[in-house]
Amino acid sequence: MNEKKGILEKTAREYHLSGTEELSKQRYNSAVVLFFKSLIASADLFLLIKTGKTPSSHNDRFNSLRNFRDIYDIVDKDFPFYQDSYNILMSKELAEVIKEDAEEVAGKAEITL
Amino acid sequence: MQKKSQEKQKLLFNENIIDVVQFGSSVIKEKPVNDIDIAVIYKKISLKEQLNHSQKIKKQLEKGFNLPIHIKSFDLYSLFDKGNFAREGILFYGKSLITKEYFVKLFGLIPKIHFTYNLSDLDKKDKVRFNYLLNGKKGKYGLLREYGGKIIAPGIIEIIPEYEKIFFDAMKEITPSLEMKKVFLS
Repeated sequence: MNEKKGILEKTAREYHLSGTEELSKQRYNSAVVLFFKSLIASADLFLLIKTGKTPSSHNDRFNSLRNFRDIYDIVDKDFPFYQDSYNILMSKELAEVIKEDAEEVAGKAEITL
Repeated sequence: MQKKSQEKQKLLFNENIIDVVQFGSSVIKEKPVNDIDIAVIYKKISLKEQLNHSQKIKKQLEKGFNLPIHIKSFDLYSLFDKGNFAREGILFYGKSLITKEYFVKLFGLIPKIHFTYNLSDLDKKDKVRFNYLLNGKKGKYGLLREYGGKIIAPGIIEIIPEYEKIFFDAMKEITPSLEMKKVFLS
């Protein structure tokens, strides 16, 4: 479990750092994807701490997060942007919102990004 | 049974919301539906606030529909942005869940579909069939009466967008010479 925790912490930070770099380069679609991935790594870490398990798919993740409504709502709110990021231009404002959400979920998983 | 239209349920929304609009396949009769597309149109507030309010609206709507809800947030700038691929669907087909009217009525417009057909190449039997289809036969309603359409000129009928597929499929079965135009009336 500790090894898995370490990996999730590392990926949450790495994606967040890469997202911040992309944001500074005005590459907003990439930033949205990376911040969302950071958010998901933190959400999975949260689930690992609370349930001892990590989800195997987005469906599984949504089902597990239903018991933790505040995180579920953030993931559910932001997931469509991740899905749309292939074919819709994302804005700076959106990337910043998802960055803040990633930081909020990291806080709930008791890590700092 | 799938619930494609919201059951009577009072939607609680805040003063920054201009409208909550259902669009996509769920507002077109007889289209296969896998999910419910909703657009929430906001006055100028921050994107973060828009997304948070939309999430609350989504939770309310989930009680009224039993299909997955896909919710999108717009202000009037992002709604009309050329990068918004849902723009036409929202403006032409979108129906307000607040007023139950077409969303564009807010701008003084009424969406209509004009079908232009040409029966000249059909044999007499099919011309009669086409006439029965539109106008009915022996007391049975035709499509025009059943779905509130009307003939506006010889060979042109006008209907509301939600019956597009019903009319198109039925008429196409008899005549291949059929054109559809989307128009806004004021």
